Amino acid sequence: MARPVLLNNVEHKALRVITTHSAALGDNVMSAIVVPSEFRSVQACYPIVFQKQPDTGQFVPLALFGFEERENLFLTESGWDASYLPLSIERLPFLIGGQRTAQQGSAPQLVVHVDLDSPRISWTQGEPVFLEYGGTTEYLKRASALLHALHAGLEATTAFIDALLALDLLESFVLDIELKDGSHNRLAGFYTVNEERVRALDGTAIASLHARSFLEPLYMVVASTVHFRSLIDRRNRRL
Amino acid sequence: MSNQVKRVVIVGGGSAGWLTAGVIAADHRSPQGPALEVTLVESPAVGPIGVGEGTWPSMRDTLRRIGVSETDFIRECDAAFKQGSKFVGWSRGEAEHYYHPFSLPQGYTEANLVSAWLQRHAATPYAELVSFQPQLCERGRAPKQVTTPEFAAVANYAYHLDAGKLGQFLQRHCTARLGVRHVVDHVARIEPADNGDIAALVTAAQGRIAGDLFIDCTGFASLLLGQHYGVPLFSVQPQLFNDSALAVQVPYAAADAPIASHTISTARSAGWIWDIGLQTRRGVGHVYSSAHMSDTEAETILRDYVARGAHATDAATLAPRKLSFRPGYRQKLWERNCVAVGLAAGFVEPLEASALALVEFSAAMISDQLPATRASMDIVAARFNDAFRYRWERAVEFLKLHYLLSARTDSPYWREHRTSASVPPRLAEQLALWRQQPPSRYDFFRIEEIFPSASYHYVLYGMGFRPEPGAFPERPDNPALAERYFGEAAALAKSMLTGLPAHRALLNHLQSYRLQRI
Repeated sequence: MARPVLLNNVEHKALRVITTHSAALGDNVMSAIVVPSEFRSVQACYPIVFQKQPDTGQFVPLALFGFEERENLFLTESGWDASYLPLSIERLPFLIGGQRTAQQGSAPQLVVHVDLDSPRISWTQGEPVFLEYGGTTEYLKRASALLHALHAGLEATTAFIDALLALDLLESFVLDIELKDGSHNRLAGFYTVNEERVRALDGTAIASLHARSFLEPLYMVVASTVHFRSLIDRRNRRL
Repeated sequence: MSNQVKRVVIVGGGSAGWLTAGVIAADHRSPQGPALEVTLVESPAVGPIGVGEGTWPSMRDTLRRIGVSETDFIRECDAAFKQGSKFVGWSRGEAEHYYHPFSLPQGYTEANLVSAWLQRHAATPYAELVSFQPQLCERGRAPKQVTTPEFAAVANYAYHLDAGKLGQFLQRHCTARLGVRHVVDHVARIEPADNGDIAALVTAAQGRIAGDLFIDCTGFASLLLGQHYGVPLFSVQPQLFNDSALAVQVPYAAADAPIASHTISTARSAGWIWDIGLQTRRGVGHVYSSAHMSDTEAETILRDYVARGAHATDAATLAPRKLSFRPGYRQKLWERNCVAVGLAAGFVEPLEASALALVEFSAAMISDQLPATRASMDIVAARFNDAFRYRWERAVEFLKLHYLLSARTDSPYWREHRTSASVPPRLAEQLALWRQQPPSRYDFFRIEEIFPSASYHYVLYGMGFRPEPGAFPERPDNPALAERYFGEAAALAKSMLTGLPAHRALLNHLQSYRLQRI
């Protein structure tokens, strides 16, 4: 269970974070949430798919790393074998949380929390979070920037998904995979963009997507599907 | 005078009127706009009767056809999910019960389930052996998950709804999205054409509304078909005695009280009590035969029911509303250029929620078969009359079955229900046959039967009906096959009980989140 607490330079003065990647550090995940602002980088490495969150039923975009639970085909002996890590992975073990300010009615201030139950937490090795006299390290500054980008991205995701749904661009798909050992596997429960319907969009719809900065991420999703092939290859190489 | 049918005028703004308007208007759109002019005239003085809160799974298709969102519908119509009915006290007048779920038995068309049940599982109630759904109902589960798309089911379902709110909800959709013209005015008189058709309605304030086809959705008043054309009501009171109902709205005992996802129908000495769970309240009513019970007595029984049970409520504060009806249907539903839908066509007690289902069937057939010209209208009318006479007859028989198979002897009402004079001849014939073979598609051979043969299975065997000894012999391969399906039903029940949310939890969730269309 996650145990997020507000990060502060007194209690967490000596806190360090292990930044390498392995199953033991919790990187054995099949997918991770991604946000439209990073789709360009995500599509360079991973297929982008959509899935309904089991608790809300609402769609979220995901980068796919494997074909079954706890399978991350990018994880190797020497770490995470990809040129880009999604924000939601790289920011770990930090989280963003809202903190109410003294003024009533004002928007909650976004503050950095840390999950003390994360296997990345260490007091002896890894990146220091605070400087000797309580200042913020470059590492924490970067983590904080990632969190803010992720937070803004998640807010934009809802509008992006609503736009795709309004234009009827999402559809469920099933991927049947035959591996080189002859075994059959099926990936189900995910959704993708229907490319034919994207190509059939009229000028008004395209202009509207473009005006809201949704056109680029939409095509990034389309482009990302080539990585299903590379994902299958990675799986085959493990046989 | 144009011979083409271009203007459809619907009279009456209850759930029947707006469902019919919605189906016809949605079906007759074209890229250039509406291909048909649909007008709904609603009297400001006449409120909808607001009964008929149970539906059949066909309602999902109808709502989708009209083009509304299921999430909006659930939010705005106080709707809840209905997975079937639980009948309490119908066979012996005690606490015994059986289920009539909406899901077909597992392997229904693949194996002789009835024989396998009687041979090896006779101690288990039929529905509980062949279907996963009674368990979902008993445990208060929703029939779908938050990730299930709109109108799609994990377990087959219909709705319980506030019929008044359904009318208003559909009105907004029909007028805003489907181009239905809504006229709120009193119909002062009907203007006949020379050939005997209806030429126009003359309204009190807005004058003449001409039309090519008039649809009478005026409820029990039956303004056009009954009053104007004088088509008489064919009474079915000799078969189905109930002609009165007392209805109350009962608040939940607590904000988080479980909501039943099935209708609970509890038999009483001269009728039965419906108990329907909506989101914000329960609808409870006692339907009875005025020839067998006084209103006072009926009210006492209703109050007693509300005061007891799992959701005990302070019954003293409730003010029941009385409804009277003549059980029956019009001898003809479509006369000249006028067709009746809903209560204007007929009504037989709310058992098995056939009222809205018949509205949907009627709206669908009128829309599908809408005659292009007046010349072909008489052909369509004759077929419509034939189709709906058939459906009303089947509905009456299916309802009668619930009474006929009872072993109750506690009142003249139940004993009289078993006299042969009160049994429709075709039903008597069916029963003779069903002693030797189970109900099947040979008994119900129309394309769209109002009640499928599986429903007869659930009621027959739930009520304790048993075939003659040695009837329905099994093929040698049947026992293994049937066992597989029984096992499948049990396994599905187990996995669905784990995977499906509580009924109230899903309804609460839908207040904050929308179901996806895909």
